[in-house]
Amino acid sequence: MNTPGVLRSIPSGKGGGPDLDILAGCRHGDRGAWRTLYDRYAPIVHRFLATFGVPPEERDDACQEVFVAVYRSLRHFRGDARLSTWIYRIAARHASRAARRRRVRTLLGNLLLREPPPPPAPDASEKSERLRMLDELVAKLSPKKKLVLVLFEIEGLPIEEVAKIAECPENTAWSRLHYARAELMAMARKRTKAVAGKGKGSS
Amino acid sequence: MTNRGWPDGDDPVAEELRKALDDAQQRLPDDVSLRRGWAAFDSRPAGRRGARLSWFAGGMASTAALALACAAWLWPRIGHTPGPEQMRTVAQTQTAAPGTQRLTLEGGVEAELQHTSVMRIEESGARVEGGAVKFKVPHRRQGHPFVVHADRYHVVVIGTRFGVAVGENRRVDVDVDEGVVEVWHKEVLLARLQPGQRWNSTPGADSAAATQDQDQGKKTGDATDRATEKLPLPSTVPADKPVTSSPLPETSLTFDKTELRRRHASRKEARAEARLAMVTTPATAPAPKPVPESPSAAKAALAAGDAPRALEIYRSLAQKPGPGGENAAYEIGRILNDRGQSSAAVTAWRRYRNDYPNGILRVEADVSIIEALARAGETDDALTEATDFLRRRPDSERRGEIARVAGDLYRTRGDCRHAIGAYQVAMSTSRARDVVEAATFNRAGCMVKIGDSGGVDALRGYLRSYPEGRFKRQATDLVEQAAAKR
Repeated sequence: MNTPGVLRSIPSGKGGGPDLDILAGCRHGDRGAWRTLYDRYAPIVHRFLATFGVPPEERDDACQEVFVAVYRSLRHFRGDARLSTWIYRIAARHASRAARRRRVRTLLGNLLLREPPPPPAPDASEKSERLRMLDELVAKLSPKKKLVLVLFEIEGLPIEEVAKIAECPENTAWSRLHYARAELMAMARKRTKAVAGKGKGSS
Repeated sequence: MTNRGWPDGDDPVAEELRKALDDAQQRLPDDVSLRRGWAAFDSRPAGRRGARLSWFAGGMASTAALALACAAWLWPRIGHTPGPEQMRTVAQTQTAAPGTQRLTLEGGVEAELQHTSVMRIEESGARVEGGAVKFKVPHRRQGHPFVVHADRYHVVVIGTRFGVAVGENRRVDVDVDEGVVEVWHKEVLLARLQPGQRWNSTPGADSAAATQDQDQGKKTGDATDRATEKLPLPSTVPADKPVTSSPLPETSLTFDKTELRRRHASRKEARAEARLAMVTTPATAPAPKPVPESPSAAKAALAAGDAPRALEIYRSLAQKPGPGGENAAYEIGRILNDRGQSSAAVTAWRRYRNDYPNGILRVEADVSIIEALARAGETDDALTEATDFLRRRPDSERRGEIARVAGDLYRTRGDCRHAIGAYQVAMSTSRARDVVEAATFNRAGCMVKIGDSGGVDALRGYLRSYPEGRFKRQATDLVEQAAAKR
């Protein structure tokens, strides 16, 4: 349930004015406007999906699905929220749906006694050990906490927008963020201890 | 140190987490992903009806796919028939001493292992670890060559019959019965072999080959010349005789006499192939150097104004399978077009079209070809391409845009009747304001030109719809001229 504050008009910020122009163009079917919209938001959607745990081999398709959804629903976009907020919300829904699909696939794979496919080789952008560590830890958070943490800490959105995207009151968003941070920190400490223990054991 | 509020504290875990979050903020997809994403999004079917139909078609297709998947899963278990997957899992094959062994690999490649040969089947092709193996490779489409690794060399095959042998002292022998093969070491093309030619690595040259790529590149550039440009030289050693020593330290080439006569007769063809090799392989550049094979390197070269270098990288990338290769094949045309070589660009995009008939950048390539031809004044070719596009792609988002180009081309030829038809298609299918506006005005102009009674009304309609439009002045002039005539 939303608090009344969530519905208040939020200034469009740095992308506000141009976003309105883009929106008008997109509604008129201007291909150039669509291209601008894609160029502006596709990298953001990609990054969000990556941090939200969508594997690299599914990321391109998921990003495309997000933009097709944007294309189909743009005429329903009333402009109450920022365009970015609306796109993030669509991306979050798609990421959750993709996670569900993955779970079903894994379940079916187990039922059919199929061997799981080998994990794909990490691409150049994923080579960083730190990023891999962060992805592993974030993947262990619950979907609600994960969403709030990713939007606030990585996407850098203000909490009122995070609350809008997560479709929860701001206080709930703060609370989820608090617990997500605490869990993440605890997991990071545990992981560091385990790595240090292994290092000692091997030496 | 970052200006992040959380996690605070100086302990190493917090510091590491802070850095990881900063890294995550910097994580961006590569250009190839974005470009492919846009191409796929841009070629989406237009309208809700298309969406509903695609849902229905998707439902039917997924049901069929599910049934097929079940059948495919059950079938091998019922009959215990080794399927292609099991074939792929053969990691290593060894022949018994007296006999030979034949194998059929993925893609219909036939391999015949001679006595005591050892061959390893890899994802990218095969590796001959010892002994001699004869291959027969069916023709493969460009960008998807079959690769045989032997020691540090790799033999790239488009479709041919040839043999690879790894002997004592790691000497590698390659002989060709049919077709053309290329022998590479890392990024350097060592030789391009025609039928009847044989190549071998001389023993003891390993360390030099591994450490002196630049020098080797120059030498092997010569070797390539010997294999292509200097074919008619009277070398008389047939392929089935022992290889003679060569002045080149790294490679030796021998030619079959009868084969040479045949090649001499088709010298033009050989030269054409040599030119093709110059286009498609980096090793034929004046000073061959290892090409960093990444789209970002090509983009950096382009940003630095070094278009030839970017082209070189993209040509190298285009030889590889997968999205990167596909994207590179398209980019070659774009760079050539930007450099004003529209004819070469059209050739490159047509090659892309041949190699990737259902590629994700196919529509982009079609549109680019039409635009390049139109700009170059190749009206007939452009019109053929445009009408073909309109016929084949009734659901394309780019239909209106192409119909407008077709209308402009017809108008340039003075064929106003066809131009009106094309502009009508553009007006009814495009949702881009500039396309519809231009089509509306030009259609009205064409109607006035052929003396159509509705022409002036169409112009007035344009002025009503676009009171501050781009063609306002011309439209007003035409209306006034028509009124004066009356």
